[in-house]
Amino acid sequence: MDCSARVRLWDEALAGVRACLREQGLREVSTSIRRDAVAIEPWIEPIGAGQGRWLATSPELAMKRLLCRGSGSIFQLAHVFRAAERGPRHSEEFHLLEWYRTPGELPDVMADVERVVARTFAVARDLIGSELAPAPRRWVCVEMIELLRETTGFPLIGDEPAAEIEPLLARARARAGVRWAQVDVDRSAQLDSHADSLADLLAWTELFSLWSDLELDPWLARQDPQLGIHVVGFPRMLAALAQVEGARAQRFESHVGGVELANGYLELRDPIEQRRRFELVAALREHHGLPELPLPERFLADLADAGLPACAGVALGFDRLLAIATGSESLDVLALD
Amino acid sequence: MDVSELKKNAKLEIDGQPWVVTDYNFVKPGKGQGLYKCRIKNMISGAVIDRTWRSGERLEAADVESRQFQYLFGGPEGYTFMDNTNYEQIELQPELVGDDHRFLMDQLGVDILFFKGRPVGITLPSHVIMEIVDSEPGVKGDTATNVTKGATVQTGLLVQVPIFLRIGDKIKISTESGDYIERVNG
Repeated sequence: MDCSARVRLWDEALAGVRACLREQGLREVSTSIRRDAVAIEPWIEPIGAGQGRWLATSPELAMKRLLCRGSGSIFQLAHVFRAAERGPRHSEEFHLLEWYRTPGELPDVMADVERVVARTFAVARDLIGSELAPAPRRWVCVEMIELLRETTGFPLIGDEPAAEIEPLLARARARAGVRWAQVDVDRSAQLDSHADSLADLLAWTELFSLWSDLELDPWLARQDPQLGIHVVGFPRMLAALAQVEGARAQRFESHVGGVELANGYLELRDPIEQRRRFELVAALREHHGLPELPLPERFLADLADAGLPACAGVALGFDRLLAIATGSESLDVLALD
Repeated sequence: MDVSELKKNAKLEIDGQPWVVTDYNFVKPGKGQGLYKCRIKNMISGAVIDRTWRSGERLEAADVESRQFQYLFGGPEGYTFMDNTNYEQIELQPELVGDDHRFLMDQLGVDILFFKGRPVGITLPSHVIMEIVDSEPGVKGDTATNVTKGATVQTGLLVQVPIFLRIGDKIKISTESGDYIERVNG
């Protein structure tokens, strides 16, 4: 695709998703990229911006602070940065389309994902004159924990402690050609106070990654390419910033053509639980010898004082969506560089 | 080194052995842990295996270096080479040279791989040019194109060559297969 075609594609695709979300009553916002703290999540490494600041890894906390202060439903097309994520479907800098509906439930934002995907595929088709990749004709929900059970033969519920999933993990490691390499770190008070939860988080995130690569991705690739798939029913240890109900996290992942596009949460509103999860990830970072990051105190204060209204939110990798809609092998070929 | 510094041709030390990354792919499921899926080759044995590392792991870079040498002389006790840059001599044990000794002729240029300062492997050029020193004459009248005969070159290596070749002819030989490639003029 030559430069002028790429410019037209981005122009119309950006206009398309903006129109799509505005039609739904969401307002566009633009929050700062240089942040004094980022949402500390497992395996997302921020890029420093000097003077003790970081480039945003997502606009999530800034947008949630707006929600706390009464913004109503909002969306943003944000430039975000994640260190060391390089590959055909990864880039250290990319566009995250993120939106929140308040009030909102998971089915509301799932429907938004479907609208945004349909609009972007339509833009690509109209621009190029023919369909380069099959657009999803219909969407289904698939329970992740059920797929885990089916593919592994383990009767998992989703809240098992690390020790119980260890045999499954050992099998996945062997199949993936991974060998356990323990990182030696001084065990601080923070690490010790979270030792059990940390072990669970480590085990579940590792199992999820290996299993996704070994089983989920091949399974998704085998499905009808015209089928959009929302993976729902995540184990509670993989809740990230979503609410938990019983053994399940209230979150979903949307996949098109075997590629993960979006993550959605019924957003966690409890400031104490939110602090506990951030501290747990801070302990995980320490365990892996990663540099310490400050807790996002201003966000936590807003959560405790003003309170986050009931809301559901989604983050969608916009470069990936464009790549899929145009049948592009990698994100580079569409970049406006 | 941190696993995020992995790339193609990175050299790693694993279980006391040097490995080179020949294929590299990064995948990261959603909010999961990044996986670095690699194919690696043992720089001594040539064995190839698939290995996956996860974000957060640390790896050890291999202390390896390849230097150019010239073959001087040798026999069953060892083979002596000279460093082209500082004229230093080094003797390699027969186990290390293995079957490659069949191609070692005067002044042959080779690459020697050092791991932690110790020689661990030798790489020959892909082909060598040697002279036939012994061979039966071809049978008169036998003109079939695929007929070959044994010929010995100066290192003692026996090669199957076309029947029309004679003692004193120079031939190009593949060091990988040990097979005759073509006759070289002059």
